[in-house]
Amino acid sequence: MRYPLLVRGCLRVTSMPFLSLLGWLEVAFCLAALCAILAKKQWKDYWSLGAFLAVRAFSSSACMCIMRFGKPLGTHAAYQLYFYTYWISFAVESILALIVVYSVYRLAMAPLKGLQQLGMMVFRWAASISVVVALGSAFAPEMTRTKYLIAAISQLQRTQSILTLCLLVFVCFAILPMGLNYGSRIFGVSLGLGVLATNDLVQSAWLALNPSMHTAYNLVNGVVICLVLATWAAYFALPEPKRRLIVLPTTSPFLRWNQISQVLGDNPGFVAIGGMPPELLAPAELEVMQRASLKMATPFPRSMSA
Amino acid sequence: MKIIVRTLVIALALTGAIATTSAKASSAKTTVNISKTSAVPVPTCPPDDPDGCGIFD
Repeated sequence: MRYPLLVRGCLRVTSMPFLSLLGWLEVAFCLAALCAILAKKQWKDYWSLGAFLAVRAFSSSACMCIMRFGKPLGTHAAYQLYFYTYWISFAVESILALIVVYSVYRLAMAPLKGLQQLGMMVFRWAASISVVVALGSAFAPEMTRTKYLIAAISQLQRTQSILTLCLLVFVCFAILPMGLNYGSRIFGVSLGLGVLATNDLVQSAWLALNPSMHTAYNLVNGVVICLVLATWAAYFALPEPKRRLIVLPTTSPFLRWNQISQVLGDNPGFVAIGGMPPELLAPAELEVMQRASLKMATPFPRSMSA
Repeated sequence: MKIIVRTLVIALALTGAIATTSAKASSAKTTVNISKTSAVPVPTCPPDDPDGCGIFD
């Protein structure tokens, strides 16, 4: 009975216990990474990743419990509970992942304050517009509440995946000039997020062709998430190498753009042009202005004008 | 090491780009066209599905 199912690629019968094991492993790795963040006192810098892991641990364990012990609720009620738990946690995780990307960029660019502020401003605008576009583009004629929820979350997730991949490419190429190395937590977190984002996009292509709850891709998903969570747990558990002293050449574009960006946000000075009542000026200022006016009214000596 | 990491990152970005194009081309047919990376199965059916999407199968 099992052999034909295996040959047809149906892993529902043969791999369900292994998938359950991966599900519980995912929860365990989430908690391990969360504990490592707390134990190494990294919550201040990585609170968004901690929150992401906490939500993921809670939602995955809730879904696993519904699948394992939900039969007494009835198939219909259990599936509804599962459906809303999955999609609502997915929306929360997508927003938290955006905040993780934002905080990773902030940490990576900490030594170059000007570029950091400029990049964060651009990121905030890009993320806000993306969220609004995701919510707006999910609207369609005759759309039900559930379909809208799924469409909006799908758009949000796609946006977050693309932004994450952009961040990963940036961190990868800017890591050495920023004084970091491949053992830095910033790189570890970015790499994990990048792998998750790529897998999300690949899985979306798979799901479009095979829209089923139990597919062979669940196995790939389980292995990928466990590897990523184990990597994060290891990066936070192991001591982080110190950031090198950043020495940039005077011709470095990083340095030049940082100087320009630092000046961009400065408050401008103001100049009084006219219509200023004399009461606003101090007596000494009035005296200076009167003398200056007298001097200007007096014609220049011939020797000077010549 | 630097080359390996850069190649890996570029491969990830390219894979993501190709997958996005592929998913967009075929997403019109299905309701659910994205999911999170998790060992938990994706609920692809609507919540009022009479068979509960085969959750206990």
